[in-house]
Amino acid sequence: MAQTVAKLIDTTLCIGCKACEAACQEWNDQEFTLGTFGGTYQTMPSLAHNFWNLIKFNEIERDGQLSWLMAKYQCMHCADAGCMRACPAPGAIAQLANGTIDFVHENCIGCGYCITGCPFDVPRLSPVTKKVYKCTLCSDRTAVGLEPACIKACPTNCLTFGARDELLRQAEMRVDELHEDGYKSAGVYNPAGVGGTNVLYVLRDSTEPEKYGLPKDPKIPWTVSLWKGPVKWLGTLVFVGGILGAFFHYIRFGPHEEHGDDN
Amino acid sequence: MTIDRIPRFSVAERISHWMAALSFLYAAFTGLALWSHKLFWLASVFGGGSTVRGMHPWGGTIFAIALGIMFLRWSKRMRLDADDLVWLKQSHKYAIHETKDLPEPGEFNAGQKMLFWAQSLFALLLFASGIVLWFPEIMPRALRLAAVLIHPVAAIGAIGGIILHIYMGTAAVPGALQSMTRGYVSARWAQSHHPKWYRQIRGQ
Repeated sequence: MAQTVAKLIDTTLCIGCKACEAACQEWNDQEFTLGTFGGTYQTMPSLAHNFWNLIKFNEIERDGQLSWLMAKYQCMHCADAGCMRACPAPGAIAQLANGTIDFVHENCIGCGYCITGCPFDVPRLSPVTKKVYKCTLCSDRTAVGLEPACIKACPTNCLTFGARDELLRQAEMRVDELHEDGYKSAGVYNPAGVGGTNVLYVLRDSTEPEKYGLPKDPKIPWTVSLWKGPVKWLGTLVFVGGILGAFFHYIRFGPHEEHGDDN
Repeated sequence: MTIDRIPRFSVAERISHWMAALSFLYAAFTGLALWSHKLFWLASVFGGGSTVRGMHPWGGTIFAIALGIMFLRWSKRMRLDADDLVWLKQSHKYAIHETKDLPEPGEFNAGQKMLFWAQSLFALLLFASGIVLWFPEIMPRALRLAAVLIHPVAAIGAIGGIILHIYMGTAAVPGALQSMTRGYVSARWAQSHHPKWYRQIRGQ
């Protein structure tokens, strides 16, 4: 039984060098397309079907000065994945034994429901192939015992890859250190609403993850849960009940006969 | 020759009805393929998952156009009158064939009229939410979140209504199907099922 693996992103150590972005593009053989310049150091405004790993240069003001809250933005590999819940095509989204959420493109039909199901707004539809793409956690590397490309490229140990339990312990130790250093609101980002994620963050200020571009309490959208739960039962009841009801009505009561005098 | 052929639906009405019927069945079966993993085998019948994803919205568009034509043609004649409200309150009696206490129906009975309004509403909801689901990459997230719920709920209503409609239009009322295929009914049929309408066209 493969153990669950994870990525740990210690945002306090990120220097914004974008080596992880380059490594991701390189390993996954993505052509670089020019993005739009938004007046910041950020490579792109958001993720793209051919750009799965983005360092967000969140700008805040601290002590009257500009400061960056840099955060790596990518698929979170949720334990309870909204994309998977919403996907109508069997086998198009797989949860691997090590916890990785991987898109299987030969089964993808390009409906884009996963985009709506994802609480982190990660999957992107390719206008060319009409299929959806995102970070694979380098499943083609981890399958043969290598670490993901972004991890390999990181020069500051901001990124670590390994067994999830081990990384969670490591993250908590780091948070303790930060507390000692005076960062009282430091904490681990591992949202419970999606059953925990296999991408973990150490945030200097974990009370406001929105400042890093991370949702405070991500959950599978309730409309998706309702649609894939009670609405499905209701539909089965109506379809099966309707057909059986009509059939047995006919057996019991028969047709509405014509009556009355002829003309 | 006896005058036993009473025209009920014009060629234009029949063509728009069958255009709606065929496109509805296509959209319903391709939609059911995406409704549940257990029904995904239906996608293979209609050319595979990607084909279904590409074509289902077009089937829905043709249905919306056909239903729009039917709506314009029939909405006035489908207005409920006082008799219809009495009929609706006692519709359970119609279901068990105890029709003597019910007000006599005109061209359409109140059940048919309600089906018309229900299917029109469901079609509107399906088309509006369907457009949102068609182009997920350019639609705002709030709209998509609403559409993923509205589309299946409206589809359940529409398919449920159509199951009832097909039953009533075939096995439950012999002669009804012919009115929509050949366009006419017999005098006896009109007198039995739509007596008020029958008297109107006979000028009584």
